[in-house]
Amino acid sequence: MIDAALSSSGTRVVLATSGDENYPPENIIDGNTETFWISTGMFPQEFILRFSDPLKIKLLTIHSYNVKNLKIEKSASSDATDFDTLSEKEFEHTEGHLQANDFSLTGTTATHLRFIITSGYDHFVSVHRVAIEGVYQ
Amino acid sequence: MVKLRARCILVGDASVGKSALAQMFRSDGAHFQKNYSMTAGVELVVKSVNIPESSDSVELFIFDSAGKETFVEACEKLWGQPSVLCLVFDVSSEASFRSCSLWLERVRAHCQGLQVPGVLVGNKSDLSSRREVETAVAQEWAQNQGLEYHETSAKEMENCDAPFLSLAQAFYALYQDRLQTIQTLA
Ligand SMILES: Nc1nc2c(ncn2[C@@H]2O[C@H](COP(=O)(O)OP(=O)(O)OP(=O)(O)O)[C@@H](O)[C@H]2O)c(=O)[nH]1
Ligand SMILES: [Mg+2]
Repeated sequence: MIDAALSSSGTRVVLATSGDENYPPENIIDGNTETFWISTGMFPQEFILRFSDPLKIKLLTIHSYNVKNLKIEKSASSDATDFDTLSEKEFEHTEGHLQANDFSLTGTTATHLRFIITSGYDHFVSVHRVAIEGVYQ
Repeated sequence: MVKLRARCILVGDASVGKSALAQMFRSDGAHFQKNYSMTAGVELVVKSVNIPESSDSVELFIFDSAGKETFVEACEKLWGQPSVLCLVFDVSSEASFRSCSLWLERVRAHCQGLQVPGVLVGNKSDLSSRREVETAVAQEWAQNQGLEYHETSAKEMENCDAPFLSLAQAFYALYQDRLQTIQTLA
């Protein structure tokens, strides 16, 4: 099993609604929780990951801070259209350490995943890492 | 370089000059509407503010809301999660000043415990002979509520940008602060 949400395995961020050039969305898929992407105000916020090949997902883990509601959608098309909701979750508030949340998505095959942050525990939220256990199809 | 986005809720009693202030700010002082045209819902005014001594900016999405009671409920539905608050009264109307605590309560109910920078604006400072609210009184109340106080005259183009600039800076300061916190976590 590999971590498919890594830029080194060909995954790309194809869209992010916020941007501070010092904290680019690529930081989400560099495998490192010390680097992060930060939202720059107002909700909702979203980012989309594209995999190099269709990916059969098992488990997804996301490290973040101050995210309240997160919705994950997937697309199995090659051009990031037709997104369907996969999962929706309210995260617990943490102070002084990152939020770590698992999503068990056994059996889902996707070319793109879209992460929509609909609310936060603060004006600004950060996403430090998305890790995905899965198998390329 | 970063461009922040802030949802600025603009409230206060009817006819205190909220729309006048928002339009003066938007048009850089080129447009003062003399005849009263009541806002019947929410009018969105968007303008970017540069933060001095940086290449950063804050884009303010100003939700210019109706002051008239009948429209308030509908307006509240559009506020979402406020980033900053601009609360306006008319210095020639004691009643509009007394309403401020109610407006503040209404907006805070949408803030979900978040720290939301705010300003109190005493508008129509040109009407000095009809003044009913003294600066010192407004200033003291603002301070007790954690708001920064500004006096403006949309009519005389006095100080109209100041409340919005100060909100943009406060939001920017909040961003810097949060960024620092997040950096220590990682
Ligand atoms: N003398 C004076 N009149 C002002 C000033 N600002 C606004 N007015 C006038 O006050 C009236 C009401 O202004 P608006 O900006 O429409 O008031 P509002 O707060 O948006 O009112 P609602 O939309 O009903 O909530 C208009 O006739 C304006 O021309 C000011 O600084 N001085
Ligand atoms: Mg108005």
